[in-house]
Amino acid sequence: MAYSFPEEVLEHVFSFIGSDRDRNAVSLVCKSWYEIERWCRRRVFVGNCYAVSPAAVVRRFPEVRSVELKGKPHFADFNLVPEGWGGYVSPWITTLARAYPWLEEIRLKRMVVTDESLELIARSFKNFKVLVLSSCEGFSTDGLAAVAANCRNLRELDLRESEVEDMSGHWLSHFPDSYTSLVSLNISCLGSEVSFSALERLVSRCPDLRSLRLNRTVPLDRLANLLRRAPQLAELGTGVYSAELRSDDFSNLVGALAGCRELRSLSGFWDVVPAYLPAVYPLCSGLTSLNLSYATIQSSELTKLISQCHSLQRLWVLDYIEDSGLEALAACCKDLRELRVFPSEPFNREGNVSLTEQGLVSVSEGCSKLQSVLYFCRQMSNAALLTIARNRPNMTRFRLCIIEPRCPDYITHEPLDTGFGAIVQHCKDLQRLSLSGLLTDRVFEYIGTYAKKLEMLSVAFAGDSDLGLHHVLSGCDSLRKLEIRDCPFGDKALLANAAKLETMRSLWMSSCSVSFGACKLLGQKMPRLNVEVIDERGHPDSRPESCPVEKLYIYRTVAGPRFDMPDFVWTMDEDSALRPS
Amino acid sequence: MGRASAKDSSPSSSSSSSSPSLVDNSKHKNHPRTSLSFASSVCRYSSCNSGGSSSTRAGRTRRGDLNTDLRLGLSIVSPDAQKDNWIGPPVSKQREQRQDWPPIKSLLRTTLAVAGKADANVHNVHNNDNSDRTRTSLFVKVYMEGVPIGRKLDLLTLHNYDDLISTLAHMFTTSITCPNGDRADHAKSLHVLTYEDREGDWMMVGDVPWEMFMTTVKRLKITRADRC
Repeated sequence: MAYSFPEEVLEHVFSFIGSDRDRNAVSLVCKSWYEIERWCRRRVFVGNCYAVSPAAVVRRFPEVRSVELKGKPHFADFNLVPEGWGGYVSPWITTLARAYPWLEEIRLKRMVVTDESLELIARSFKNFKVLVLSSCEGFSTDGLAAVAANCRNLRELDLRESEVEDMSGHWLSHFPDSYTSLVSLNISCLGSEVSFSALERLVSRCPDLRSLRLNRTVPLDRLANLLRRAPQLAELGTGVYSAELRSDDFSNLVGALAGCRELRSLSGFWDVVPAYLPAVYPLCSGLTSLNLSYATIQSSELTKLISQCHSLQRLWVLDYIEDSGLEALAACCKDLRELRVFPSEPFNREGNVSLTEQGLVSVSEGCSKLQSVLYFCRQMSNAALLTIARNRPNMTRFRLCIIEPRCPDYITHEPLDTGFGAIVQHCKDLQRLSLSGLLTDRVFEYIGTYAKKLEMLSVAFAGDSDLGLHHVLSGCDSLRKLEIRDCPFGDKALLANAAKLETMRSLWMSSCSVSFGACKLLGQKMPRLNVEVIDERGHPDSRPESCPVEKLYIYRTVAGPRFDMPDFVWTMDEDSALRPS
Repeated sequence: MGRASAKDSSPSSSSSSSSPSLVDNSKHKNHPRTSLSFASSVCRYSSCNSGGSSSTRAGRTRRGDLNTDLRLGLSIVSPDAQKDNWIGPPVSKQREQRQDWPPIKSLLRTTLAVAGKADANVHNVHNNDNSDRTRTSLFVKVYMEGVPIGRKLDLLTLHNYDDLISTLAHMFTTSITCPNGDRADHAKSLHVLTYEDREGDWMMVGDVPWEMFMTTVKRLKITRADRC
């Protein structure tokens, strides 16, 4: 051991290693490195809150300052996970409160959070700085009031897309007058009004405030005053962007916005009145991020705005932008990295706007840095996909949603296999892919063959047989998350690739053909997987074993089966195959 | 349920699972999916798994099947849809749009639902016929003063204040002052209509444009005329 460094030196070296993967690799080198590393790890990320028990985490890492947890499967965003499934943060908070008095940051995604937990957080961590609740639910403004009142060092409070029960808008007043450390506040998901005077006072006394995302109820005519108190803002989410503005109100707004010289990101724009958009024009040249997902205005107005944003890197917009607007985007925004186009009328079979595959092709041609795409449209062709793939081999995230399920190539009427095949073949660093349209097993063969860096795949209404699933499970070396709905995939591929499932975070299958018998067998064979059958038709034992289960969620875990399941979820365990039906 | 089964019994139907308008919403725990998915899964997938050359079938017949499926779905939708879709407990299945497709998050979903209705007249957008448009709902609670049990009303089925007044008058068997009416008529009606807005204030219905009303109303109350 003459050539090994003293602990302090190693610890110092490890302090430069931030990524979880690298940290995990370090801990595997030898026992002493494992020991040193675990004492100096400051950040823990648990991608599936049921993969490990809170007790195990705090036992291994005693000095953590930041915890990030994710709960429900991704498809919960689209109402595919029944309410009550799980993802409760409470046991975690209880354990963390006991073990980490110096905890500073908690980030939660798709978890059920209660006011009690928020109150516990507020009481337990003296140096608490960051609370991010992304797509969470189960709490109210009372819990927020507790956080506001007690967390003297809070920097960040971000409630993005959470469902919050509004008890009172006065929770904001619970920030004491002595509290001045706010850096980031995102309340855009709140339904009812917050006390505006409390908000104004809060903004006035927090000189480090850089990010402020308001909710819809903040009126446009009060925005100017708010902005004048925070000219250092870098990110702004407006409230409702319509009002009966008098002309001096409007010029007041223009002046206030122009005064925010550091503003790089804009969002909000609910109910936007086109006549008031020019107020943001002076900011356009500096904007790097623009979220117009709620701006129900026409292509010409959108185009006028976007054509001035020469530094734009991220754009989220409704399909009102149309192909013409996307062509303008391609011409003007050469720095674009990420584009998301959402459907303005998602429930109509017929299109209401002139947005086709051509818009995406234009952007792929004009924006050489484009890496991340989420695109809702009503028609697609293999030719277009091939063009996009050839234009953008640097694509890392490609999510296409053709609104009509099983929609073929609109020109040739063939499946879109070759188009998506081109995507995976050309985009060698593709990490995330969502498929749509008419697809056979062939597309999965392409994916299994070429998508070697693919980590997350979403599939809906696709494939012909188990062969499709088999291609993916056996071919995609980097696969971590696979979510499937309404595909004819059954037992064979799943059982044949059981071992693969232990190398992944999770697999979701709903409205497929996996039988209850196969689920039991899988649960029996693979003790380190939780095989959860979700079925609202009653216990699967009341149906034949060959009957497909409604939904299936499989994830690797070192914590064993969970015990907080509702009455429509069953974990297949080692004994399940032996128990009489 | 019966309608969907009729579609499923066709053995040559190779489309797996179901088209958007006919599948139950599993989100609603209180409406357990009965035999629909079981029967349909068994009869479809067992035939699918055995075939190896299903790709050619898929290319040509599926689109046709899909058209049939959706036409069937829509033709079943229209006659009943407009009639008794808001009176009483949660609406019949075909009246709701799918909660789980296309894959957009709920915040966007609800924002578009309200905006779609509000902008129907204002926007210069390609207007489809109404049975396609309003496939979402905006239920608000309605109480009448003195009656402890309230009702629920889907505002997206209504087009203007007149609709609202007449619907409520029918629902609660009373006369309600029309907001556009003469103030002199006020004395004749038993009740007036008020609403709670987003800021928590109680306001008289009828002062703001219908579209703006839709975006700000949280609940309705029919109050006695002599109280206002």
